[in-house]
Amino acid sequence: MDLFLQYMANGVVIGSTYVLVAVGLTLIFGILGVVNFAHGEFYMIGGYAGIVAITVLKLPVLPAIAFVLLVAAVVGIAAEAILHKPMKNHDATSSIISSFGLAVALQNAALVVMGPQPQRLNLDVSKIPVLSSLPTDFGPVFLPQQRLLIPIATVLLIAILYVVLRYTWTGRGLRAMAQHATVARLCGVRVERVAIVTFITGAALAGTAGMLMSSVFFVYPIVGNMIALKAFTVVILGGMGNVAGAAVAGLLLGITESLTSAYISNAMRDVVGFVFVILVLLFRPQGLFGKAVERS
Amino acid sequence: MRVYLIALLAFAGLAVAPFGIGGYETNVLMMVLFFVILAVGLDLVTGYCGQFSFATGAFYGIGAYTAAIMTRDFNTTIWVHLPAGAIVAGLFGLLLGIPALRLKGHFLAIVTIAFQTIVYLVISQWTSFTGGQVGLPMPNAGPVTVFGVTLFEFGSLRSYYWLTLAMTALTLLISWRLVNSRLGREWVAIRDDETLASAVGLDTTRGKLTAFVAYAALAGVAGVLTAHSLRGVTPDDYTIWISATVVAMMVVGGRGTFIGPILGAVFLAILPELLGKFAEYKMLIYGVLLVLVVTLMPEGVVGRLRARAAR
Repeated sequence: MDLFLQYMANGVVIGSTYVLVAVGLTLIFGILGVVNFAHGEFYMIGGYAGIVAITVLKLPVLPAIAFVLLVAAVVGIAAEAILHKPMKNHDATSSIISSFGLAVALQNAALVVMGPQPQRLNLDVSKIPVLSSLPTDFGPVFLPQQRLLIPIATVLLIAILYVVLRYTWTGRGLRAMAQHATVARLCGVRVERVAIVTFITGAALAGTAGMLMSSVFFVYPIVGNMIALKAFTVVILGGMGNVAGAAVAGLLLGITESLTSAYISNAMRDVVGFVFVILVLLFRPQGLFGKAVERS
Repeated sequence: MRVYLIALLAFAGLAVAPFGIGGYETNVLMMVLFFVILAVGLDLVTGYCGQFSFATGAFYGIGAYTAAIMTRDFNTTIWVHLPAGAIVAGLFGLLLGIPALRLKGHFLAIVTIAFQTIVYLVISQWTSFTGGQVGLPMPNAGPVTVFGVTLFEFGSLRSYYWLTLAMTALTLLISWRLVNSRLGREWVAIRDDETLASAVGLDTTRGKLTAFVAYAALAGVAGVLTAHSLRGVTPDDYTIWISATVVAMMVVGGRGTFIGPILGAVFLAILPELLGKFAEYKMLIYGVLLVLVVTLMPEGVVGRLRARAAR
């Protein structure tokens, strides 16, 4: 039983990462209709940016986070310019191929720049003021600060995202675009700006996830492949474009994987999600939490 | 008629090529032919029928592992493996085609990537069955005999090359007949407007499944040939990079143009050989090419040339 709680906690940590990556993915799809196969690379770049900021540039933690966000913003702007802006007159499926191409290019660029060997961020938590004072023992559950930070950051970021989407003009513009792009445009929503903001948001969320995870798991050039697949799993389970659904489904997938690897077999952990997703696509394509809609 | 004549001349040239070039060049040519088979197959399902698949590497691997596992367990030869690889890969194609009946565009693309990943996980992790990361070795094919009389020794590089050339010719012939048949036109109708296609009474289920099976079976054949000519299989030869490479070949050449993916395969397969020490950047180049071509001329090089000629 004690171990069960530990597995649950590990699942929540992993699941939080899935939430961060998947929410950006689902936003980009819901608002712009772009299926971003290069989203896992945002995560990979965030991880490497974190490692570069802390081990190469020797920045303290907060400036390092700012550096990661800056890199993510640049990547987001570039990705929008490649995957969304030139695709307006193309059929909707072109972005599938071009984002797939972008993913391949980014992975191999990372291979050239950073090398094939997996890298990890050695984050010395004892030097970080607030983080070092956090507890690590919760009854039977032990979570080192690096891991504990991940769900905390996820909750914070999702809360900020919620407030922005709900109460700011930018957020209203984003939601209007998601509901009906043409009407939103008629009402004066600046579509180009919304597109850029959406991509920056997605890249920032995934990049932060990558940075946070880089102190727990290794970062390597193709790390984004698996993460992107997991994020797609989460997005489909939660319903394409459904942010709250993605948040719930992300945690569910993390916990399911953790329990699978603990009680069934470690080799099965990555397969479980895919089996799930194929079943959901076949029987409930609108997602576990989505409303049935006519797909034409 | 002219098309057949040109094709015939090209194949005659390729058939005598091994006498004029070295082993290395023959190997490169053979690899080009593998990619031609893969790209033409992918073009059937994506270019003609409009169904995305990023699982070419998986079907290629299923064909290759069918050959390797049958060699190990039943001690059969390549002549059995060719049809067996096509059938096993075709069955998996059918399996993947079933979700395609209900899913479109991005959903299907995600499922094919998931399928590719699952196949890779199985062939790299199920060590007792597939040899795991190390893969499986394959013995030489041995002599070809009829009623106990040895006709010729099979197993030299040239014999594999000629067999691959023959299978490539067969692939092109079958694919050419398919896309110019009624079935091929049904595929195009499904690609252009599925709702309309079913409204005018076309069986879209049959159309999509046949396209998937044809694509998978061709990739399976390429896999069998590859496994035998490389004398073994390892999981890393059948990753999503193969899928990405073949998608790039098809898109750069021109989806649904028939000749486009062939030229794309020839060009992109030879490219790394010409790059010399920059060959390690080939996937980077493929990725950038994919983005550029889809953005600037989504119809591909051949598609653009044809459109220009028509004007």
